[in-house]
Amino acid sequence: MRNTSMKRSWNGMVGRALVLAATIVAVTCEESCAENWPGWRGPDRNGVSRDTGVPLNWSADANVAWKTPLPGSGISNPIIFDDKVFVTASDGKNLANLHVICLARDTGRIRWHQRLWGTAPTRFHGNKSSMASPSPVTDGRHVWAFFGTGDVFCLESNSGQLAWHRSLSGEYGVIENRFATSSSPLLYRDTILLQVDHYGDSYLVALDRKTGSNRWKVDRPGRWLSWSSPQLIRLKGGRHEFIVCGSQRVESFDPGTGRALWTAGEMRRECIPTPLFINGRLYVVSGPSGPSMRIRPGGSGDVTKTHVEWKNPRGSPFVPSAIVVGKRYYLVTDSGIATCLDTETGKQVWQKRFGGGFTASPVAAGDRIYWVNESGVTLVIRGGGDRYEELARNAIGESVFASPAISQDRFFLRTTRHLVCLKGAPGTSP
Amino acid sequence: MSWTRVLVLWLVVGLTVGRLGPAVWAEEITDDLATVARTGPGGRGSVAARKATDRLARNGLELLPRLLEAMDTDNIVAANWYRTVYEQITRRELARDPVPDFPVSLLKTYVTNPKRHGRVRRLVLDLVERLEPGTTDSLIPGLMADPEFRDDAVAAALARGDRARKAGRTREASGEYRKAFQAARNSGQIGTAADRLKAVGQEVSVVTHMGFVTNWFLLGPFDAPGTTGFELVLPPEKQVKTAVDLAATYAGKGGGRIKWGRHQSGDRFGQSNLNAAIAAVKEAVGYAYTEVISPRKQSVQIRCGADDNITIWLNGKQVLRRLQWLNGTRLDRFRASVTLKKGRNRMLVKVCQGPQHKNPAVPNNWSLQLRFCDAAGGGVGVTSGLPEIARKNAAVSRESGR
Repeated sequence: MRNTSMKRSWNGMVGRALVLAATIVAVTCEESCAENWPGWRGPDRNGVSRDTGVPLNWSADANVAWKTPLPGSGISNPIIFDDKVFVTASDGKNLANLHVICLARDTGRIRWHQRLWGTAPTRFHGNKSSMASPSPVTDGRHVWAFFGTGDVFCLESNSGQLAWHRSLSGEYGVIENRFATSSSPLLYRDTILLQVDHYGDSYLVALDRKTGSNRWKVDRPGRWLSWSSPQLIRLKGGRHEFIVCGSQRVESFDPGTGRALWTAGEMRRECIPTPLFINGRLYVVSGPSGPSMRIRPGGSGDVTKTHVEWKNPRGSPFVPSAIVVGKRYYLVTDSGIATCLDTETGKQVWQKRFGGGFTASPVAAGDRIYWVNESGVTLVIRGGGDRYEELARNAIGESVFASPAISQDRFFLRTTRHLVCLKGAPGTSP
Repeated sequence: MSWTRVLVLWLVVGLTVGRLGPAVWAEEITDDLATVARTGPGGRGSVAARKATDRLARNGLELLPRLLEAMDTDNIVAANWYRTVYEQITRRELARDPVPDFPVSLLKTYVTNPKRHGRVRRLVLDLVERLEPGTTDSLIPGLMADPEFRDDAVAAALARGDRARKAGRTREASGEYRKAFQAARNSGQIGTAADRLKAVGQEVSVVTHMGFVTNWFLLGPFDAPGTTGFELVLPPEKQVKTAVDLAATYAGKGGGRIKWGRHQSGDRFGQSNLNAAIAAVKEAVGYAYTEVISPRKQSVQIRCGADDNITIWLNGKQVLRRLQWLNGTRLDRFRASVTLKKGRNRMLVKVCQGPQHKNPAVPNNWSLQLRFCDAAGGGVGVTSGLPEIARKNAAVSRESGR
């Protein structure tokens, strides 16, 4: 009897412990599996989320968790960190009125809204562009926002209070380009790295995260304008490289010092897409008629003849960045022609007309790739395979030029008027 | 020490400081505003500014006059720090029920003062509009010559003209369009106003209004392999301090003789296509020469753009030199402050033509656009001094009764 009682008690303890452990694992998994989207193109800056419960279907009315109007205009992607969503915009005379807005991830309620002045709008930019094209970046405690006015702001993420402001255009000259600057900053250790390529004096600069002061600045005489966002890669030996596309070449720099490491040619004069770094290889593209290239990073000097593993001019976009899912590399042109290449050989796997114009870059979760056209229709296809497989087409009913974001199983679409948070239908899973 | 004693001590200190408050408070505000003013390049002063703005933001509407004074600065970094304080105070006060009395009269005076910084005036106008809806519509039409609100006033005049025209009141529409045209300094609005005037039967000259130089002697192409043209010193540059010899001939690109030829741009915004006017070539140098008559000695701006790059000599002195290949000709891209003497002024311009872009589909433009204007972008009464065109101008002036 006693043994039985003890056994029951023991079993009960074990059972409770298991339940507790399972709960801890579940909570931990929920937290660790539910990713943030802390900057341009997500956690690894390649458009890919590790989230597993991202919605497949929606419409203007269905599976909308919330929808919040945004001021002005901007094509920066929303960024998400824990329970906050950050987005930038610009409006007013010469689009020099800048906005950084923080919304509650669960409700879309505006938690704070910081309004600031820009130094000088990008000169010669077209009517369609905004000063809020670069996406902000966050580490959860601070948000850093770069605008086409040449201003970089550091704000406290909880309050929106200004921590520092740099007027790069005031210090180094007004940015000049015809679509307005769109290069998004990235974080490296205790610095924020920026690529400022334009008609005038182009440069790269590393700013101290806490104070905004220069850690290093590299002038780029002769570099033409570009809109490409830089990439940060980590090689097997632990070496980091700061990768920059622009003016007919891809270049690598030491992110800690700005020292030039290597360069590869064959790019077009004007570069927009962001380079990808997947499984130790760089994928770069510049268009509209330039090639996609796979490059083995880590060299020194001119590596065009030694480190470019394949090159294919098919399907190169001017604006949208590419994406890799599995062993497949995907592109869509601005006019909606999609191309799938094999990552190992660079050979074409399929080509398909998606329909509509494209400015936004694709994102992916699992084997699903989400392509949002300018009419606001999101085409979802299965990625990684040998053939084209369409899974869904979802119309949000508003124009979209900003790249979407995925975080914590939610899909965030920035239309020309709203920020929309989409959720999976109850009881559905991929 | 017991907690009661600590509390009492705090109360005493608090009351004492409260009595001394205004003086201490005023001094602290002065210090904090000065701290923010010291922010600047390189993130300078941010940590101190953060603390200072926290303290400043605890104040109420009584801080507004001093804050507006401080915000009226060319230091954009400091202006933004001040703005964060302004936003916090105004947001907090506007949320009160009832809304307290804002110093509306002072705010309106600030808005209409053209010496204040435009971005702050606009910010304050937004606040006044919230407090007294309709203020913007009532103020803007009177700000046609205002450096900040000119474009808004011109847009309002164009809209009034459109409404009048739609209602069949053509004369009234014409008056509004003319007011808009005369006040406009923005090329888009100037073009729109000119189009609207044409639609009601009135022709105006965008070229004269904006001060474009359209009459030239052109010379070229000189041979300049690759991108060597910018540094090449060719015969017209050697003559610039004395007199450019318009009768001379030179060895041109390809071996033929080249000489100066007259050119008049017919472009609405005064642009000259040198591929058409000189020759469709690559890797070359061309020159443009003109003489302009200024009605008086005056300080003006030269605003120009060129594809590929440009050097300008005015009355024998180099006044602008910009090296930029394949950049496109863009309105007012480059600026230089110069002094025109009364009467005849001589100007030589050098424009290079670079190599073909790597992509053969990219057109190899070769062009020039140049104007004399005031700081706001309006024409300054300069006319062409080239002989035959001057006679034509005089005839046009007589015909139009000017």
